[in-house]
Amino acid sequence: MCGISGVASFHPIGDRLYEGVRHLEYRGYDSCGVAFLNDHHLEIRKDIGTVDEVDSKEHLRQLSALVGIAHTRWATHGKVTKENAHPHQSCHGEFAVVHNGIIANYKLLRAELGKAGHCFRSDTDTEIIAHLIEQRFKESGDVERAWVSALRSLEGSYALAMISTHDPERIFCARHESPLILGLGSESNYVGSDFNAFIDYTKNTVILEDGEYGIVSKDSYSVKSLRTGEVVDKDVTVVPWDSELSRKGGYPHYMLKEIHEQPQAVRSALRIGQEEIAAVADMMVGAHRVQLLGVGTTYYVALLGQYLMAQLADMDVPALSSDEFRHLDKSGRDSLVIAISQSGETYDTVMSLRHAKERGAKTAAIVNVMGSSIARMVDRVILQGSGPEVCVVSTKAALVQMILLTRLAIELGVRRGTVSAEKRREYEAALAALPGEIETILNEKSGLIRAAAYRHAQVQNWLFLGRGLYYPIALEAALKMKEVTYIHAEGMPGGFLKHGTLSLVDDKLHTLVFIPPPSTGELHSMTMSSVEEVRARGGFVFGFTFNGTDDIFDGRLALTQTHELTAPFLPLVAAQLLAYFTATALKRNVDKPRSLAKSVTVA
Amino acid sequence: MKALILTGGAGRNLTPFSTTRPKAMTVVAGGSLMRRVLNDLREVGVTDITVVVGQHREKVTAAFKDGEDLGVHLTYVEQERPGGIADAILRARSRFNPGEYFMLVYGDVVTSANPFHQALQSFNAFKGPTACVCLPGPPTARYGNVYLDGTRITRIVEKPTTAGLGNYVLAGVFVLPVDLFTLVEKCGGDMEQVFGQLVREPGLSASIWEEGWIDVEYPWDILAANRMVMDTWEEAKISRHAIIEGNVTFTGPVHVERGSVIKAGAVLAGPCYIGRNCYVGNNVLVRSYTSLGAASLIGYGVELKNCVLFGNSRVGRLSFVGDSVIGENVDIGSGTMTINENMDRTSVDVAVRGEPIDSGLAKLGAFIGDDVKVGAGNTLAAGTVLPPGASVPHHATVGGR
Repeated sequence: MCGISGVASFHPIGDRLYEGVRHLEYRGYDSCGVAFLNDHHLEIRKDIGTVDEVDSKEHLRQLSALVGIAHTRWATHGKVTKENAHPHQSCHGEFAVVHNGIIANYKLLRAELGKAGHCFRSDTDTEIIAHLIEQRFKESGDVERAWVSALRSLEGSYALAMISTHDPERIFCARHESPLILGLGSESNYVGSDFNAFIDYTKNTVILEDGEYGIVSKDSYSVKSLRTGEVVDKDVTVVPWDSELSRKGGYPHYMLKEIHEQPQAVRSALRIGQEEIAAVADMMVGAHRVQLLGVGTTYYVALLGQYLMAQLADMDVPALSSDEFRHLDKSGRDSLVIAISQSGETYDTVMSLRHAKERGAKTAAIVNVMGSSIARMVDRVILQGSGPEVCVVSTKAALVQMILLTRLAIELGVRRGTVSAEKRREYEAALAALPGEIETILNEKSGLIRAAAYRHAQVQNWLFLGRGLYYPIALEAALKMKEVTYIHAEGMPGGFLKHGTLSLVDDKLHTLVFIPPPSTGELHSMTMSSVEEVRARGGFVFGFTFNGTDDIFDGRLALTQTHELTAPFLPLVAAQLLAYFTATALKRNVDKPRSLAKSVTVA
Repeated sequence: MKALILTGGAGRNLTPFSTTRPKAMTVVAGGSLMRRVLNDLREVGVTDITVVVGQHREKVTAAFKDGEDLGVHLTYVEQERPGGIADAILRARSRFNPGEYFMLVYGDVVTSANPFHQALQSFNAFKGPTACVCLPGPPTARYGNVYLDGTRITRIVEKPTTAGLGNYVLAGVFVLPVDLFTLVEKCGGDMEQVFGQLVREPGLSASIWEEGWIDVEYPWDILAANRMVMDTWEEAKISRHAIIEGNVTFTGPVHVERGSVIKAGAVLAGPCYIGRNCYVGNNVLVRSYTSLGAASLIGYGVELKNCVLFGNSRVGRLSFVGDSVIGENVDIGSGTMTINENMDRTSVDVAVRGEPIDSGLAKLGAFIGDDVKVGAGNTLAAGTVLPPGASVPHHATVGGR
């Protein structure tokens, strides 16, 4: 995945172009570059490295141009090299292009263009687009016609922005299956992969749809249909996010900031109107088959949802990983597919939804980013309203998704007669108390968790064990650990131990066990027996426990006893902090772990 | 922005070193705590600095004078008798202009990176009173507990009674309005009240410090701080004006300053620091986390390990100094052995103001004050403290349980 920004203005754009692409770094950060028009000449500055690194070498900000485009890359086609960094230009330097996505038919196009005499400087699929436009310009002599004609030849996914010496005041852009939006400022207009590219300058945006292209100049913009060439009337959306919120404030990392924002995020999730949740619950009741979809963190969220639906609403709602969905999809007209995605752009999930829709299924989604592809393509969306999540490792968005699934399960239980009015009030009171309980962990346990993290930072292998609702929690916690610390952590159900994993246990392997409160009876005692099994073989066991648990651990963090419904979320928050502090102890790049990008918009 | 550094505290838990100097003049990784603070402040462009000095103020003024050598401008304000933070703050009042903000810095804190950079960034985001907060190593009741809601501080519990809480604590770096002086006066110099009032109105925001942070309270904290700073070193730095004889081995980030002589056969394992004009004799083994202040003289065949020598001291031939701190002008006779662990491997107790305190460390040597003379052939038990000026005859055994 990559990030695109572009600015056309009455005033020099160097700083804004640089800031725009810097705020998109979470989408990819292995190389970056800018292209701008200087005196009717196209100039490109690019290199490998983060935006700041490239800026210090290439002086991205020091330019007096009024029109330019920029890109931060996360490699898909071609290695991470200066040549492969965007922007790419055509043979004669008349067209420069930045691109997010994958051109499926690029080999074919490359061969054709090669025959027509075009020479390529890079291995990327993007470069052929610049040459293709140049080729079509030779034929038509008009930039817009060349642009449209080139777009029609492309297969695959793209968000594109292009500038040309033949039309030096305008930026051309288009999208197909990759996100792109326009920003409308005063004396300036913007193009970006998302709001972060220009939120400091304007909150007025126009969201481009698949099959549309935009033309942006310093004082005007237009959006046209790629098929008909006619102007499309677009609504201007005002972004409600405060730019200050999407900055770090007093925190050293976005991850810690977002962990600390969880009480607030849960509070706003509990304020989402009952009718929004009820609408999806009604769809579930009306459907013959319901499936929950997610991938990575959101798959674990979906798995937790499966347990909740079974336990609270006595309903079988399988969770499926959206990267595997197409191989299993048996949905039909009476099916409902509920997708979970923070960005709303996750490629596998978008594709799965599309697949299910083609088979006639109804769709719903829990999404954080409003106006995103998934939010717009499903029949019913619950916008989680957790505010921007910048750290690649999802914390608050995932927790809020879990809370919303809990609300959905309660609502479903009411409809299916498994949750009485009294139970419902009890559950709602438990949810209402959760933000305060999380605050207590953040305030009174942070130091204890940090001390434990520093003590065990050198451990190379972790087992994270849980049973019941604590199993998906263990999986999610292990993923946090893996993502941000690069340490091997494996989540599994406690029952798996004697079916193979016990043979791994020795004094080097550490085990973190998520112990349910003693009030859960059998679930508690079964989990405790897993602890005994590991300890009997000389393994080190750290427990996230609740008060009243026997201390049979080598190390533990005791949390305050709470309602069984919300109890699993407390050790999850503790596990997020454990992963965070382990990462800082190991001096990892917390907000941008190696090889990962925030929302995965490629296959 | 101007800064106010407090160095007037008596630091009685840091004896024997605080008996002859302010805590801020304690040395880690080749430089005093104060020097590190001044360098970090200059790095963020804060150069107009007022320093409140108390007992042994001459140690500070002699070392830094008007600050010109460090590129800052220093003004000293005297606090005759230790009178707490509030008293110290009020003494500097006339140096600051109403309506502005200033930076308040505790002079006895060591960090692994420049904390003022983050403090100013956070202040720019909050545009209001800002306090750096951090999680101290193992949770302790030594500091007030800070409660946060996002980055807003909701309350500060000055003397926590609930044991074992892992709260954030005040890290000793603040950006505060100059009106604070009026508030301190109004609260009768009670800092608890001052912070309580700040939290209520106009509000105090937290800048969360996640890098290393050590408040040098007990003598063994010097070793921890020394290690923390040296762990940030990545490269060796050998002055071209040092004399390195043949067959000397350097590994890792070894720093050797100008004028020093490293004799043949010496082995230096970084990170370690050899200050100006030191003499490191033949076949000396300097193991990691050793810091030798200027003009240290290390005799033939000595082994040094995880220790800090403030400077101008001598360690005679064939001695071992490990996990220890040695003040200035100390003379350690040849063949002296610091014992650095208990026979039963339990953590070592150290006498602090006459009371044995558990350091929590299994390896700990001796703490030797300024101007001490230790005769030849001595053994110093783990956790020995020698007060400034003490004299130990030849062939004695000191301390031990």
